[in-house]
Amino acid sequence: MNSIETNNLTKIYTSSFGKRNVQALTDLSLSVDGGSIFGLLGPNGAGKTTLIKILLGITFPTSGRANILNEDISNYKVKSKVGYLPENHKYPSYLTGGNVLKFFGKLNGLEGNSFEKKIDELLELVKLSNWKKTKVKAYSKGMMQRLGLAQTLINDPELIFLDEPTDGVDPIGRKEIRDILLDLKSKSKTIFLNSHLLSEVELITDRVGILNKGKLLREGTVKEFTEKKEEYTINIQDDFPPDALAGLKKEFNFLKINPGSYTVKVTDVEELNRVIDFTRNKGILIKEIIPQKSTLEEMFISLIQASEKEGNK
Amino acid sequence: MKNILVMTWFTLREALARKVFLFFLGISAIVIIVLAIITSLTDTSSILSNIGNISSSNNINAAGNLSALGSIVTMFEIVIINSVANLGLLLAIFSSASFVPVMLEKGNIDLLLSKPISRAQLLWGKYTGGIFVVLINIAFLIIGVWFIVSIKFSYWNFAVLWSILLITFAFATLNAVIVLFGVITKSSILGMMSAYFIYLILSPFLLAVKDRMIPFIENKVLLSVLDGFYYFIPKTSEIFGKDIYNLAFGTNIDSQPIITSFLFIFLIMILSVEIFKRKDF
Repeated sequence: MNSIETNNLTKIYTSSFGKRNVQALTDLSLSVDGGSIFGLLGPNGAGKTTLIKILLGITFPTSGRANILNEDISNYKVKSKVGYLPENHKYPSYLTGGNVLKFFGKLNGLEGNSFEKKIDELLELVKLSNWKKTKVKAYSKGMMQRLGLAQTLINDPELIFLDEPTDGVDPIGRKEIRDILLDLKSKSKTIFLNSHLLSEVELITDRVGILNKGKLLREGTVKEFTEKKEEYTINIQDDFPPDALAGLKKEFNFLKINPGSYTVKVTDVEELNRVIDFTRNKGILIKEIIPQKSTLEEMFISLIQASEKEGNK
Repeated sequence: MKNILVMTWFTLREALARKVFLFFLGISAIVIIVLAIITSLTDTSSILSNIGNISSSNNINAAGNLSALGSIVTMFEIVIINSVANLGLLLAIFSSASFVPVMLEKGNIDLLLSKPISRAQLLWGKYTGGIFVVLINIAFLIIGVWFIVSIKFSYWNFAVLWSILLITFAFATLNAVIVLFGVITKSSILGMMSAYFIYLILSPFLLAVKDRMIPFIENKVLLSVLDGFYYFIPKTSEIFGKDIYNLAFGTNIDSQPIITSFLFIFLIMILSVEIFKRKDF
């Protein structure tokens, strides 16, 4: 079952006097499986936040349709099963951390003793129990972010939208947030994550989408994004003798050589086996064959650069 | 309805966090304390006997259904209430003008709209929250003044308490304007200025036109425009003046200013909600 589904979603922001239009999203079609973590990546102004805002009814699409949890986004009641942590969120400065959770819980229709208990549990989860009765104006950026996460979870949502959740949080806090998200995933919650921190996205997401200038450039699993097809590094016992090295370079698409290893690009498994046979025939012992991977960051940058070049043509 | 109550309650808290409402509450408290001191130092027996003499010599007529004593006590109460409530209303407009713009700030509105609450409920909650704040402040002032004066003169005119609702209603009409401009401009300045303009200039001017100038206006187009304006614009001057006076003195009140002002609130709030429903944030 899909938790999020969009069909040809387009958003054009029009200035007050219609002089300047900004195309924030263009024909965006996307689906996110229930119980998974989906990471949406893109440079600033790519349309990531606009997409979340449309899904939550904060902004309206110019055209196209979208559903969350099998309900049309125009049905505001579906939001009782949704949690949202916006980027740069603000809470009334005169409220305490506990009161912030109380306010947003009440807006979700929560009340009673179990609600009070839930507030305490969530503050414990984000390590703010000692700050429950402190006004939020005294909170640091990282504490606000953790309170935001608690607020997002107050209604035990099935679908969670997080816009830069680790913004301003220290490395230990980030790890804690990552652990919370993985725990939520294990409870079959769907998480839609917008983030600039590609290394973090890589660590926790099941699927990733890359957005640039309102267009979805590519979508797939992290593995699909990072795997370098048919590129292998072969670790060897001894270095190649010079004549064998010349032969290797001549026969195969040889990428680089280091003491004790070399990297080749092959067209298929058969060619990889021929490389192995060639090496073995020269009497060289193979210790390890490692398929090469790129980082999500490398992939992201190359996709964005290719998209920019395409746009400039 | 529950969502509106939650928004109303938290708007009340927001108002209490602002110093202006506390300032108004403080002024009301000072007025009540000063009044209590003055009345405790004043010998009412001489005042009461004077009233008796004046009344018996027909130098003063009883107003409405009240005795001479009742008329003087009620007038005394209304004068105090009107002067402080006027100041209170000016402060209330100033303070509540930012309720909607603050709600619409980035990072704030995103969170509110991500909850299972409709945009109409959000706006009505903010609107009623502002009204409740004024109701509390005005009720504190009026009940305080009325109680002290009534004890001192041993004359209890409960009809004076109607002014609590009338003054709050006058604010409700202005608050609708504040909400409308808040939604359109996301700023408090235009809403505040419009409310002050209606309260201090337009409403008194249109009342003066209707009461005194219409017989002298010959141009029918101008007459229709002024008439149209008169019926459309909320009648805060009449509510604050004639209606409070008439209710307190137990005479019939003209319901037209209340009905047309109520329709104004309804119309402006429907318009505000419709604009709010279509806004991107």
